[in-house]
Order: sequence, then structure tokens, then C-alpha cells
Amino acid sequence: MSKSVTGAPRYAESEHVEIEIASQWRLMWWKFKRHRMAVVGGIIVLIYYLVALFAEFFAPVHFTTYKEEYVYAPPQTIHLFRNGKFDPYVFGYRFERDPASFKKIWYIDESVIIPIGLFQRGEPYKLWGIIPGNIHLIGPRNPEDPFYLMGADKSGRDIFSRIIYSSRVSLTVGLVGVAISLFLGILLGGLSGLLGGAVDNIIQRLTEILISIPTLPLWLALAAAVPLDWSPLQVYFMITIILSLIGWTGLGRVVRSKFLALREEEFILAATLDGVPLGRMIFRHMIPSFLSHIIASVTLSIPGMILGETALSYLGLGLRPPVVSWGVMLQETQKVAVIANYPWLLFPALAVIVVVLALNFLGDGLRDAADPYQAK
Amino acid sequence: MTEQSLSYSSPQMQDESFLLEVNNLKMYFPITRGIFARVKGYTKAADDVSFFIRKGETVGLVGESGCGKTTVGRCIVRAYTPTAGEILYRRADGAVVDLAKLQGEELRPYRKDIRVIFQDPYSSLNPRMTVFDIITEVLKVNKLAQPEEMRESVEYLLKRVGMRPEYMQRYPHAFSGGERQRIVIARALITNPRLVVCDEAVSALDVSIRAQILNLLEELQADFDLTYLFISHDLSVIRHICDRVVVMYVGKVVEIAEGLDLYISPKHPYTEALMSSVPISNPRLRARGSRIRLPGEVADPSNPPPGCYFHPRCLYAQPICAKESPPLRLLDGTRSHYVACHFAEELSLRGATMEE
Amino acid sequence: MSDETLVEVQDLKIHFFTDEGVVRAVDGVNLTVQRGKTLSLVGESGCGKSVACRALLHIVHPPGRIVSGKILYHRRLDNGLSETVDIADMDPKGREIRDIRGKEIAMIFQEPMTSLSPMYTVGSQIMENILLHTNMSKKEARALTIELLAKVGIPKPERLVDEYPFRLSGGMRQRAMIAMALSGRPNLLIADEPTTALDVTTQANILDLMLELQKQYDMALLFITHDLGVVAEIADEVAVMYLGRIVEKADVDTIFNAPMHPYTQALLRSIPKIAMKREELDPIKGMVPSPYRRPGGCPFHPRCTKALPECSTIVPAITKLNENHLVECLLYEDLATRKAMERPS
Repeated sequence: MSKSVTGAPRYAESEHVEIEIASQWRLMWWKFKRHRMAVVGGIIVLIYYLVALFAEFFAPVHFTTYKEEYVYAPPQTIHLFRNGKFDPYVFGYRFERDPASFKKIWYIDESVIIPIGLFQRGEPYKLWGIIPGNIHLIGPRNPEDPFYLMGADKSGRDIFSRIIYSSRVSLTVGLVGVAISLFLGILLGGLSGLLGGAVDNIIQRLTEILISIPTLPLWLALAAAVPLDWSPLQVYFMITIILSLIGWTGLGRVVRSKFLALREEEFILAATLDGVPLGRMIFRHMIPSFLSHIIASVTLSIPGMILGETALSYLGLGLRPPVVSWGVMLQETQKVAVIANYPWLLFPALAVIVVVLALNFLGDGLRDAADPYQAK
Repeated sequence: MTEQSLSYSSPQMQDESFLLEVNNLKMYFPITRGIFARVKGYTKAADDVSFFIRKGETVGLVGESGCGKTTVGRCIVRAYTPTAGEILYRRADGAVVDLAKLQGEELRPYRKDIRVIFQDPYSSLNPRMTVFDIITEVLKVNKLAQPEEMRESVEYLLKRVGMRPEYMQRYPHAFSGGERQRIVIARALITNPRLVVCDEAVSALDVSIRAQILNLLEELQADFDLTYLFISHDLSVIRHICDRVVVMYVGKVVEIAEGLDLYISPKHPYTEALMSSVPISNPRLRARGSRIRLPGEVADPSNPPPGCYFHPRCLYAQPICAKESPPLRLLDGTRSHYVACHFAEELSLRGATMEE
Repeated sequence: MSDETLVEVQDLKIHFFTDEGVVRAVDGVNLTVQRGKTLSLVGESGCGKSVACRALLHIVHPPGRIVSGKILYHRRLDNGLSETVDIADMDPKGREIRDIRGKEIAMIFQEPMTSLSPMYTVGSQIMENILLHTNMSKKEARALTIELLAKVGIPKPERLVDEYPFRLSGGMRQRAMIAMALSGRPNLLIADEPTTALDVTTQANILDLMLELQKQYDMALLFITHDLGVVAEIADEVAVMYLGRIVEKADVDTIFNAPMHPYTQALLRSIPKIAMKREELDPIKGMVPSPYRRPGGCPFHPRCTKALPECSTIVPAITKLNENHLVECLLYEDLATRKAMERPS
């Protein structure tokens, strides 16, 4: 059977012309669109990043805001209708002291009704530290009312808001890390594949050494090496670099093998015989033919970075309060007793799971779409 | 010319009519092993290859896989830097240059003179570039034309190779194998080349498309005053399109002759066996004469046998064949039949079965 | 050897249900393979010849499916009687077809490297087939394997039996494949472009070998190729395929010297010949249409130089020119009769 371009319908003549003049990106988009899980994943990822970008607006309160009286308050459920009319509200709280342990035992108090709404005026904030504002996507009509959609933590801070603010750090620590490993991977993999010989040999041995290092002890060692008086921001930066210094090897190998394969392609030979200089050869003839693969594998490597940050911070080796990340939040769940009593502290894990799954689906779809010229 | 074969050391050709003269071309590929890439030996892909191409003719380079015919073609277009030997090329102004000695930028002026048509129309076109970009890349990087001129010449050429000019904005995936090969031909011809190396240019195509492309190549040769080096393993295609034929076996030229001459009276036992193996598309000729079947396998070019490389499979081998490698020499009493066999004069070999 | 029918393919249709539409890869094929004879199926790439032949072993991979038709296999039983089974009707994973595959009907492919597993020695792969289909002991199977390897002309078979496929040259691998195919003593050997990847001198040797073994084993050969030269060398009968249909079928001499279908005629005119005079080739115009855009009527009519106006609407029926010469072309159909036949319906 002849080679066919997948992803595009083959029925009418007019559609045919469209396929025939379609660039690789159009063909990839057609193919990607048919991968429904990937599209859903893509939308979820997009939402996550939008929320991270406008965290001040999406979060009902700032992540440091606390109300001592609501320590470990359980999650409230949103009710949409009151008296047959659309009028969203949540119930208030009441508590009793456990006579033995003096711990607060929370009850949802159905007699207290806290009306809530979209675009509520609330705590003032500065978007990205610059633009002042006080409108929040969702919040109680009276800013003083307690509003804990995912419960409160040990200081009475809103977990929902903290998850939203955490996404900033957790989602970008991945991006910065991936960007660094992308740069290293393309540079070193490209040198390795293009130049070959001794350079290739050295880079390949280095890769093998890096891959063979057990990562957890390395993290431990490096985290221990970070001076204790560093600011959380410096620690954060250090972590990204640590993660990406190890993470580039996979991508480097992919890039190298692509260059090696391309060197054997007849269309590259044809370009050589056309007299195409090296720079143009790399950027116009070679990189476009595997750029899509790179994008796909980058997407697939972000979840690893996110999980890495979460794991490190959870173990106390990565970020530390007052910085919030999903890992930092999950640190509080290290004791079984805490999970047993306040399971809502695990909500950050849910956030991690959803975004990691979504990124994996997106990456899978991109990878399948990356080569729209495969013979079927 | 005597035993010394075709070799010449001065930078001039033997004959005014020659466009290209290859003398004692050697292309050895190192075989490396281990982490430190130590060289363990050489694959002698082309070993002392000599032949010439006259202006305007079509020379066939024929042999079985691994005989080095593609290597020779790639040395001529300087995709490879030959290990030794000369590739003399006569420029349009009459001057002769040795392409084998040129490096890097010095080759640039000749890249447009000598062009290639590749075998596989699927892998030789970059799927991520439009037909226009593919064809004009050579013009752009060598600054051979202005953008407006480019459009015009691509239009003209696409029409000439039998494609609609509006297809130039399409991507290769829109085309069938035959159409792609027409694009490959257009890319080769856009620079107004003088020599075109056709490397198995029709081997990947279906029967009906192959005939179209062969006819097209012949028309273009007349129209554009082209000289072809036609590399193929297919003896019937070679017979159809070539004026003269060079037969190779394990990196060496074993015979060179005018087309019909070679097919009627081959002088090398390998050529005879090759002719005898070609299937003939007429069942009535099936039983005519017993066929020659070669025993054994093609020699390994990294470890060839001593003497004549063909002797272990040769039906006429004598003790001398295992000791001395026969040089390529002009056959006594002929003007242009070269052969590398100790017994070329004594043997009476059978030619190909002729249809019609 | 007698004129005994071995396999009869009746109105076989294999369609591929792809996202882009239905591809009618095999669209109503009728074939008869005689015991001990060679039938060559010839056509250009995409004509459906490989798919049709794979159906004889009931290996049609999704999205392809045998839509309709019969593949009648006549087998001789030990008691001298014979029985007929319909392969198209069998469960593709069932015991019945697995008993036929590799034993009564064997197949060899174009690229022997991909059909031999690189993980096992040549010998063990052949032995496995023997052990699967007989109740020989391992020792006997090994002896038979060596015997078969010797039979297909592999030098030093007792050593090669323990070699891995990558150590063999292309020609030797194809010989090993043939040895494996022979291990079940098949009644029918299907060869799908077995010499296309080989050099011409190797091809000649393999063709000789196949013809010799055919005589020895009295097996039928179904030989699929696009190379008309090879067809002329080995075939008894030839079927010419175009876009999923057999357009002409006759004995080899008729096909090459008195072809009737315009496609067969054009195909023969378009191949370069080794002749005294170099003649211009007469190619077929246009190209094989995309499988998604099959022309209506006779599939060949857009490229046919002899097409009638009716050819674009009427699908030609099989016309019997003589006992052994079938052609699907309106030029040979009595149009008047056809119209008369169609009118009442």
C-alpha cells in the first residue's frame, strides 16, 4: 500500500488539496486532534498553568493568611441552591473539645449559612507583586467568614489557596529544569551526533556515568551541600539545576541518535551536495525533522521534574517553608496519625496526580503526532 | 595504451571528447572496533577504478550489491573524499580539474555542474520542505538566482518533467513514488548541470512508472545536453539506456565496452555469468542453452581473495588467477573494449540471450 | 503430475477499514492453483497481490478483513479419498488453520531477515516447525533439518544449523527460509517476491532451486512478483492483477506472446528488453490511483488507450476467450448480450 498521510480525511477532492499543501505542523495538529485523551490532557495542563499564572485571583486568600480558630477545619461542600433559587453557599463550623486530648472536633454547622459567590471582593493582593487588586474568582460574600473548600492545615491556612499558590513553584521548577536539560541535551547530544569521534566518545561516557549515579543519594548529598543560610529562592534555584544536570542525559541520547540517523538520510546527502553550509544544514534541514520529537519528549519529561521536586521537598531535602510547593505541603502528611485524622491534607497529592497524568497524556499524543509521515 | 591501463599523472585528459576521467580511484573505509575505535582493516569499496565518460554519452555502471558502484558515484559527486586516485573533470571553459584533490569550498563551483538523482524518492526528499524549497535550495545557498527567477525556472522545470507547476507549494507527502522521482530530477536539473549521476534512479519504481521515468531521462538528455553516469544493477535497464557499460565486481572494474558489444560478446567470465542470470521476459526463450550459475558467494571487500577477486567462483580459473591480479587493459584488436582477465583473448564466452 | 485442483479462490474480497475510508485491496478475485504447477501472480505495488496470497493462510491483519468469498483447499486424505475445506471460513487463530499453515501450505517472503528471528539459530527455527507438525524426536528433527539445509544448497549444513541468521548472506537466508518451508512437505508453497531483494546471479540460483524442489516435492508454487522476467522464467500459469482484480489469466506463453487485456499488453510494452536494437519504451500513462480513489467501472480505464465510453461505468465481467484464457475487459465482452441481460433487472 502506498504511503499515506494519517490524520486527515481522504474523502473529497477539496480536502485533498488541503492535505497536500499542509505543512508538518498542520498534519501534526490533525493527527493530534484525533487523540482525545491528549486533547483533554492538553486542556487540563493549560488550565493548571493559567491558574498558576493568576494565582492571586484564583486563590480565595493568600497562602500565608491564617485563622488560628480554624486549625484543621475540614473541607466545606458547596451547595448551589437555597430555597429553590440559585444562591450558592457553604455551611459554617462548630466544634467541641475532646475531653481527653483537648483536641478540637469539628462539625459542619448546618444552621450557619455562609453565602458565597464568584468574583468576590476579598483580601487585597498585588498580582505578580505589581498590579493591586482584591477581586477573587470565588469567595464568601463576607470576607470575614470561614471558607475552606479543601479544609485548613495546622495553622488554619486554606489548603485550596495554598495548592493554587504552590502550583507556581511546582509547575515552574519543572519548566526551568526542563529548559536547562533541553539546552544541555540538544547541545551535548548534537555535538556528539554531529562531530562523532572523540567528542562523541567523551560525551557518551559522561552520559553513562551520570545515568549510573543513584539519584536519591546524589540528591541527599547535594541538598546537604546547600548552605543552610540560603534563602528559599536560592535553594529553589539550586534544586532546578541539580535536577536538570542529571535529567539532560535522556534527551541528549535522543538528539544524538536523531543526528546519527539523519546523517544517513538521502535528503541530507542531497543537501550536502547542494552545497548547504553546516549552520543552515543543522537549523533548516536537520532540526525541523526532529523538533517535534523533542517537544514531545520534553512534555513527557516535565512530570518527572514535578515528581522529583515533590519527592525532594517531601523528604525535606528540597524546598522549605515559607516557600510553598506541593511537596512542601505534603511534608505535613508524613505522620500516619495526621493522615488518619485530617485526610484533606492529601489534596496536594491529588493536584500532582492530575497534572502528571494530564502531561503524560499530552506528551503521548504529541509523540504519536510528531511524525506525521509514517507509512501506515 | 598497453598494460598501464588508463592511468595518467598529468592533469589533462587522454581525449578531448572526455568530460570525466576516473583514474585509479580508491575508496577505502576503515573498519573500527572497540571503544577506542582502533582501525582493524579496510573495506576496499572501490579499488583502482578507472574509466572515462565522453561528453553527451550515457555510461552505465553495473554490478551486484556491494560491488562499489554507488561508492564510485559518490566519490565523483564528492560526497566522499577518495583515498587515492584522480577524478578529472573538464569544465565548460575547457580547463581540466582533479575533483579528488579539491576540498570544502573549492568544490562549490562543481556542485552545480555535477548533480545526482537518487534511488529512493521517499528518503531523498525532505518531508518538511515544500517542493519549491527543495528544488531551489541549491540556488539559494549558492546564490545562483534571484527569487523571481527561481519561481520561473521551477515552473518551467516542473512542466518539463511532467508536473503541474502549481504543485510547487505542496509537500512531498502529496506525491506518489513516480511523481517524487520527477521532483528529484527537477532538483538535479535546476542548476543546468553537465553531468548527472543517476544512482539506481529507477530501481525503486513500479514497472509502468519506470518506463515513464526512463523515457523522461532520455528526453531531458537531448534537451539539456546532459551526460549521464547511470548506476544500476538492472541489466535490461542498462541495455536500454546506456551507450557504454562499466562492469564492476568487488570494488574493481572487470570490463568496459560499448553496450551492444558487451551484451553480445562479453570478455570477462563474470560479465558472462551476469548476462546469463538475467531473466528474459519471453517464456519461449526459457530453455535456450544451459544457464551459467555461479558457485559460492560474492567476495568480502574487506578480505578479498588473492589474485583475481573473481577466481574462486570462475568457471575458467587457472593457477595464475589465484596469484596475479589481472590489470584492466584494452583488448587486442578492439578500440574500446577493456577487460581485466588473464585469458580474455582465449576464452569464448556466451553473450546475453537477445529478445527479438 | 496431473491437472488436479489444489486451491480454488472464489470471489475473494478483502477490505481494509481505515480511518480514511475503506480500501478494497482485493475485490473479487478468482484463482485456481493446480497441484504441482506454478501460478504466478503479477502486478504493480498496491495491486493487492500480497494481501490476496496471505489470505490463503488466513493471515490478514486488521484493519483488513476477508469480507466475502471462498478459499477452497482440496486435500488428499491417507485413505485415498479427498476432502475440501474452506480456509476463508476458518478461525484465523484456530487449530484447523494452524495445522495447514507451515505444513500443508508454506510461505516465504521477500526479506528473509525479517521473517527469521534473530534470536534463535537457523536450525532451531526449522526444527521448531518440524516438531510442531510431526511427532519426531528432537534428534530426528535435527537430522532432517541438516538434510533440508543440504538440499537447499547450503554448504556445510551441519555447521550452519547452529548459526544465527545475521551470519548468513541474503541468498543463504532465503535458502534457509525455503528449507523451513519445505520441512512440512507442503502441497503449496507461496513465495511473495522471494528474489526481489537479491542480486541477479543469486536470484537465478534461487529460482533454479525452487523449480528443482518443486519437481522433487510435487508441490504447487504460487509465485508473487512484479518482475515479468522472473514470471517468464518460472510460471506455468499467470494471473495479472490490477487494483484488487485479476484482469487476465492464461498460460505463460499466451500472456507473453498473445496478451489480450490492454493492461497486460501495456505492461509488456513498458519493460526494457535486452535486444539488438534499443527501442523507445512505451509506458502506461498516468499512475496507479490512490486506493481511496478507485475509479468506477473498469479500474484500468483512466490509463487505458483502448477504453470505450462504457468502460467508466460498467465493471467488466470475466470473459472466457478459450478454455484457459480469461480476461476482464469490455473489448471482449458482447455488449449487446450484457445490455439485454441487464435490462430486465
